[in-house]
Order: sequence, then structure tokens, then C-alpha cells
Amino acid sequence: MSDQTSPEIMIEVVDLHKRFKDLHVLKGISTTVKRSEVVAVMGPSGSGKSTFLRCLNRLEEPNSGHIYIEGVDILSPYIDINKLRTEMGMVFQSFNLFPHMTCIQNVMLAPMHVRKISRDEAYERGIKLLEKVGLAHKADAYPEQLSGGQQQRVAIARALAMQPQIMFFDEPTSALDPEMIGEVLDVMSTLAREGMTMVVVSHEMGFIRKAADRVLFLADGLLVEEGSPEEIFNNPQHARTKDFLSKIL
Amino acid sequence: MPMTTATTAKANTSAKFMRSHPAWMHWVRHPYFLRGTLVALILYALFLLPAPGAPAALADKLNLGVFTVLVLAWSALILADGDRPDWLQSIVAFGLVGVMGWLFYRYSGAHWDKLAAAFFDWGRLSGSWWLLLDGLKVTLLIGLISTFLSVLIGAAVGILRTLGSPTLNLFLTAYIDIFRSIPMAVLMVVIFFALPYMGISFGSIATTVVALSIGYGAYASESFRAGFEAIHYGQIEAARALGLSRWQCMRMIMLPQAIPVVIPSLTGILVSMLKDTAVASLVASPELLKRARELYTSKASPTPLVASALIYLVVIIPLTRLANLLEHRMKKVR
Repeated sequence: MSDQTSPEIMIEVVDLHKRFKDLHVLKGISTTVKRSEVVAVMGPSGSGKSTFLRCLNRLEEPNSGHIYIEGVDILSPYIDINKLRTEMGMVFQSFNLFPHMTCIQNVMLAPMHVRKISRDEAYERGIKLLEKVGLAHKADAYPEQLSGGQQQRVAIARALAMQPQIMFFDEPTSALDPEMIGEVLDVMSTLAREGMTMVVVSHEMGFIRKAADRVLFLADGLLVEEGSPEEIFNNPQHARTKDFLSKIL
Repeated sequence: MPMTTATTAKANTSAKFMRSHPAWMHWVRHPYFLRGTLVALILYALFLLPAPGAPAALADKLNLGVFTVLVLAWSALILADGDRPDWLQSIVAFGLVGVMGWLFYRYSGAHWDKLAAAFFDWGRLSGSWWLLLDGLKVTLLIGLISTFLSVLIGAAVGILRTLGSPTLNLFLTAYIDIFRSIPMAVLMVVIFFALPYMGISFGSIATTVVALSIGYGAYASESFRAGFEAIHYGQIEAARALGLSRWQCMRMIMLPQAIPVVIPSLTGILVSMLKDTAVASLVASPELLKRARELYTSKASPTPLVASALIYLVVIIPLTRLANLLEHRMKKVR
């Protein structure tokens, strides 16, 4: 949608709270994500970064606050969440490919049954996307026949098949062997270059430095610090950020 | 001596599981000892056992007891020894069964010729086979309809339980617990004899079908629940994140993954349901056992009962084999 002005606000989060019983995981998070922006979310384990991401497509129901996607309040009881989720692709830490389907079937499933496009069109789109992630030759393989990195690339293709406006990545490389991380990050970098709006929970410093426009640093359910990767990595302001970065560097 | 890696691996694993043998075990496991005692046992059987017929004297009873214990002990030396080859163990196992059968035949004191005449009096059954086969037809019909209905009920209850609504689950768990606890015979009798007082009455075959469907539906729903619980939660999240509705997720993601898990236990349940159709003779369904009992009365012979047992065997053994085969297949598929 090149005819629209580029710094348009895509996601707006206002004072987001999430509790699991007595555990207050998100204690009021507010931020915005612009169109085509790549936002990395970092933070120590238990900081609520995954929960924050999962609230954005309502895999977790927030307890209070507002989330606007392209101006639509997605927490309103009147919206169709299934329809809304078609605009937001999600990639999981554990891939979650459907084991009883081949790669191409995994990719074709949602476009055919949610978008209701024809089988031929879905197949064509699926093959193109598998080509894009470099796995067209594995179209008829089952997920268990693929390596972790290949599975995650198929999972990215599956999410892209819905032609979403936004992509969420929940620690996409933390379940992978080191030599497979690169192939997944390459696909993600390509997406970022093509102007996809992305929110990525990740600690891959190299990728964040190269591809991310902004870093959110979460600790104890609060947005402690945000800024460009250079600002955060080279000149962190907050003690929690300094402490965390000193541990992972 | 050079040792290949395979032999060392084998030595390691067997060393791990082997208890250290006490000294007497070494000579007990010696081939000469085993052969010698086998010859001694055969001589015992040929010359020292009492005359055929139920043993009356205490000395004879003791004699038989000692012989039995010695045979068992000798077989145990082979059967309990993991290092013995399979062929030897099978020979000893079959031999043991043979010896025990021979002892029973010789010393039980039963009048085998009279028994055979009573239980296997096939001549008396001539002309009445069609009645038993008629009963078999009814049994299979009841089994087929109840299979269909109980799988339907089981799947429906299983699917409803995945919704995770506490109130609904309370009712569904109550249904499952109640109907898994009531014996099938009681359930049928209650439906047939008690419900008519409340204005609900079924015929005898309908009673059987309703009781079996409700009762085994409860079991089947537990298999389905196990099948759904085996699915990783990430599967459902991935499906929902793609925009699939709950029902689409159930149909395209959960059911196809649950069914391979469900089928083995489900076939087991359905086989025991087919056996429970025999309970229907309590409410006078004209099924196989009912027919056999009628013949038992009219012919004054237990042969029809034996015949019905054989018919059940012929029908159900292939089904249990099929169940095992399916279980094997499904394990491979997954």
C-alpha cells in the first residue's frame, strides 16, 4: 500500500495489563509501531515479552488496556478475532507446523479455508512462498523430515501465505541449533527489507542491529527503555538494561 | 583377544541387568545337571506315579504334589533363564502345558467319555443351527448400531469437553462417571423394567442398543479425551493464529491428530461391547446367548451353550486381532 503515507501508525498499545491469577505479568505497557517498522522486544526471562506479543493477536486476553491495529480496537467484544488474526502472521518458538500435513499443505491450509481462495491459487501462492524461504523442493515432505531451521522457514511461509499486514515472531530462533539460526534470520531480514511490519521477540543481537528500527526493553512487566539498536546497545540508560546487556554480550 | 565394539556393547548391557549368580546356580545351569534331572523326571513319571483315577490315599496325593513341584521347578530353570535360546524355551513351555494336561486328564477323576457326550453332542443340535445363526445376526446388528452410536456419543462428548467450560464439564463428567460405574446388566434391566413406570418404554432390542450406546459412549468419550489431550497446545495456537475458527481447528487440526491415538483404545472398547451384547439375553433380546439358552432348555443338553461360546470365539478373535493390527499400524504412522 505505497499510496499511503509511510509513518502511519500500525499498532498502538495503551496501558496494557495482564495477570495470570496472582502474577502480574504486564504492568501497563504503552507503545506504538509504525507501518514497515521492525521492532525488537528484548528482556530477561519472565519479563513478559512473550506475553506482550501474544496479547497483540489475543492468544492471551489482556486484563485491561487498549490495543489498536490500524485504528481498530481489537479488544472490543464486537470484533471478529478470526478475521483480525488473518492480518497478523505469527511464528512460534516451537514452529508448531501441523505434523499430519506436508509442507505445502501446511502453507495452503489457511488461505483455502479462511481466505476461501481456490486450491490452485493457494498452491501457486504456497509454492512461491516456499521458494522464497528456499524450500520449494521440500513441498511434499512432512515436517518431521525437516531440520529445525527448515521447519521454522516453512512456518514463516505458512504465516506469510495469509498475506498479513504484520508479522509477529516469538523467539523464532531459540529452539534451533546454532548452525540453523542464520538461515531463519536471513529470511526475516529479507522480509524486513521488503517493508513488512514486524514485532520480534529475540536476543539475536546481530539481526537486531542489522534489521530492527527500534528496540523495546522489557523488565518485570514494564517497558524500561526503548530506542534505536545503537542507542540501546551502545549507550543503555537504565540499570536493568545495562545489567542484561552485560550478561548476554 | 580382539573384541569388536558390538560384543563389548552387548557385554555392557547384559552386565548392567545381570544379577551376580550365587555359586550353586553355576552347577544348576550346567547341561549335565539339566539332562540328568530330565531323565530322572521321565523315569519318575513312568514308574513311580500312582495308578490313574482321582488319588484317594494321602501318600498318592503327596506323590502327585511332589511330582508336580519337581516338573515346575525343572521348567523354571529353563524358562526363567534369559540366556536360553527361544526354541528351547518354547519346547519346554509347550511340554509343560502338555504334562499338566496329561496329569489333569489322568488324575482329575472326570468321566471324559460322558462329558464329551454331554458337551459335544452335535447330533442333537442338527436342524437347530439356524436358530443360533439367527441369534448371531441379532448380536451383530445390535453391535453394529451400538458401535456407530457410541462412537458418535464419545466423539461429541470428547469434543464438548475440549471447550473447557466448567459447567458443561461438570455435566459431562457426571455422565461419564455414572455410566462407567453402572454394570451393563443393571443398566439394561433398569431401562427395560423400570423406565416403563416413567412412561418411557423400549422394546428389548432397542433397550440393548440404548444401554450399550450410552454405556460405551462414556468409555469412548474417555478415549477421545485422551486423544485430544495428546495434542500439543502449540498446534491449537498455531491454527487459531492463522485465523481458523474453533470448529475448523477441531476438524482440520485436532481430529486428524487425535484419531490415530483414539483408534486402538476405541477398537478395544468396541470389542468388549460386542461381548457385552450377551447381557441382552437378560431383557429377552433374541440374540445369540438367548437362543443358545432356549435350545439348552428345549434339548436338555449343554451343547448349544458350548456352540454359542465357539461362535463368539470365531467372531471375536479376528476382531481382537484386527484391533491389535490397527494399534500396530497407528504406532508406525505416528
